[in-house]
Amino acid sequence: MTNRLLLIGLNHTTAPLAVRERVALPSERAAEALAALRGRFGGCEAVLLSTCNRVELYLAHADTAVPTRADVASFLADFHSIPADDFEPHLYEMTDRAAAQHLFEVASSLDSMVLGESQILGQVRHGYDMASAAGATGAMLNPLFQRAIAAGKEVLSTTSLGEGRLSIAGIAVEYARRVFETFDDKTVLCIGAGKMAQLALRHFAELRPKRLIVCNRDSERAASVAAQFKGERAAFASLDEQLAQADVVISSTGSTQPIVTRPRMEHVLRTRRYRPVFVIDIAVPRDVEPSVGELDAVYLYNIDDLQQAVSATQQQRSSAIDAARAIVTQRVEEFVAWNRQRDLGPTIDLLYKRYHAIARVEMERIAGALPNLTIAEREALDEAARRIVNKLLHGPVSALKNPGAAHAVSPQYLHAMEKLFELEVTEEGGASGAGDE
Amino acid sequence: MTDGSNPNVGQVILLTGAVALFAAGGGISLSRLWADHLWSRLAAKACMWFGVAVSIGVLVWHSVERRSWLPLEDNFDTFVWLGVMLALFVMYVQRRKPIGGLEWFVMPIVILLLIGAAVFGSARPHEYVRGAWGWVHRLGAFGGAAAFAVAAAAGAMYLVANKRLREKSLLAAAAAPPPSLSPGDPPRFASLERLEHVTLAAVTLGFALLTLGAVTGIVQMIFEHKATSFAKVALTAVAWLVYGLALHSPITPSFRGRKTAMLSIAGFALMIAVLITVQLMPTSSSSGG
Repeated sequence: MTNRLLLIGLNHTTAPLAVRERVALPSERAAEALAALRGRFGGCEAVLLSTCNRVELYLAHADTAVPTRADVASFLADFHSIPADDFEPHLYEMTDRAAAQHLFEVASSLDSMVLGESQILGQVRHGYDMASAAGATGAMLNPLFQRAIAAGKEVLSTTSLGEGRLSIAGIAVEYARRVFETFDDKTVLCIGAGKMAQLALRHFAELRPKRLIVCNRDSERAASVAAQFKGERAAFASLDEQLAQADVVISSTGSTQPIVTRPRMEHVLRTRRYRPVFVIDIAVPRDVEPSVGELDAVYLYNIDDLQQAVSATQQQRSSAIDAARAIVTQRVEEFVAWNRQRDLGPTIDLLYKRYHAIARVEMERIAGALPNLTIAEREALDEAARRIVNKLLHGPVSALKNPGAAHAVSPQYLHAMEKLFELEVTEEGGASGAGDE
Repeated sequence: MTDGSNPNVGQVILLTGAVALFAAGGGISLSRLWADHLWSRLAAKACMWFGVAVSIGVLVWHSVERRSWLPLEDNFDTFVWLGVMLALFVMYVQRRKPIGGLEWFVMPIVILLLIGAAVFGSARPHEYVRGAWGWVHRLGAFGGAAAFAVAAAAGAMYLVANKRLREKSLLAAAAAPPPSLSPGDPPRFASLERLEHVTLAAVTLGFALLTLGAVTGIVQMIFEHKATSFAKVALTAVAWLVYGLALHSPITPSFRGRKTAMLSIAGFALMIAVLITVQLMPTSSSSGG
């Protein structure tokens, strides 16, 4: 019995931010979601990949227990307590080779909002580690994710895709420079102290702002991050006061509700005498109400806005993309071939065993009819029978090992072969031939 | 309205050449938005420098012909001087601390001033320039207009840049590396902060000069009994008030940024209206400024 790979998800190209943020699985709920998913789909292998730009579920399962797209949509809807219709049209579904190819491209940042950004590789690893720790990965997803992560590393280290790349934070800095001429008289406020916030802070710290403030609910974490960038820590309760001083606001918290609302920002703007403020909301779900961007002195950019600025750069890097795609394609081919060998191995063994057994039986019959055969003649006959069986099976087995693109080996294909050649697969995963005596 | 003492044909032809050079320079500079090459950058600069050289040649010829080197002595001379000063200002700024796209906004004003010189540019010296008050009045009025032209250009750039930021449509420009002075860099606008600073600085200078021009004009009216038109006085007063309002932005928060930019453009439109009003009036009833 073979495993099939199924991917169902949505990303920045298929779903707007408003949809993604509703389906997102915060890391603190990811383990719970994983357990619920496995419980619902009969202990299948599963990895959840939830980032700002994508929510993807990788499932490996026995071909007799295939969850459908509707099943997965229903699971997500139940888990988030939202109607499936709200996001189901944005879902994509891939199986087997296409799913593997997609994961390799994701890990290599070829499918990223910002081409060449390395954060996604860490996020893929994190998703895999978490599933692995929960015992949710097995014979299919372990090698798949390990190979995808290795391919991602190879792409970023051997091509120019990762060189001079623009991260979300890097692009945010570029936008900020369109608003402000100098930063040595500006204050940068960071709400949140997560990885994305730190990445953004690293870019803005390079501008050497006059003040750099980190405001987080976890005061100790805020202090730790602030110290890293030679900034100051501020209590979350003093957020209004900090907002009034800040010229650049980076918000990246895990809050499910907007932190900076329009009334709050209107009040802050009055306090700061309508000096312009540049707000980067890189949180999903969003921390800043979209209507805040309508205020005259506020320049608000969210994840999707930053994505738009990246597309042109992506075009400029077409040569690097080609090289990266070549690596990904090669690694995917290797994985598919390896996986096919793994699936085919027992069946091919069984096929040879069965036909050699038939040949042996026939040779015994001939030997019985010819009592004067010498040992040498008997050995020559056995060798001839063995070679005939091998030559007869060489064609079908070669075709099975190297199918054309249109006839990739699928479980149904293997199953058909087992039926045609009257092979019997045992429950232990082994196989026995009908003629195996 | 011309009075029959226009500049001679040779000067007008030369002036047309200067206009063509400035237009070519601005056009080539603008084309760099789509395809930026070193040759286009150099060609744009060359066109503008030649435009300035030709304009100065016109001024020299005109001064030799009228046998006076006193600037701003007649309308033709004043318009050409304004155009040359604006063009030189753009080239100075772009050399010292470039503001991407500044020439796209100022060059049309330069071209309009030179065309204005050819159309309205009476070569008849104004009587008032013989007095110090009159000369200061004219310097203040036209100097203020030049400063306001810069303010209006910077204000227009602010509005465009602000709109692009709000529409988040920077695309490649945002993804491009920061600009440097090296050839081949794609042109881009300055930051909103800098454009606002330039607008305010130009408005401040222009406001001071306009005030000087207005005060000396009033002095002339009262003490030298110079006749002037109500339209000119009224438009000048409104322009002065508009710029006064624009100058409030540092102390009146609600007049920051976009509103200041719009006021600077509106004020410049009023200044143009004042200048046109002056040109359309008979010289005898105008102070020329």
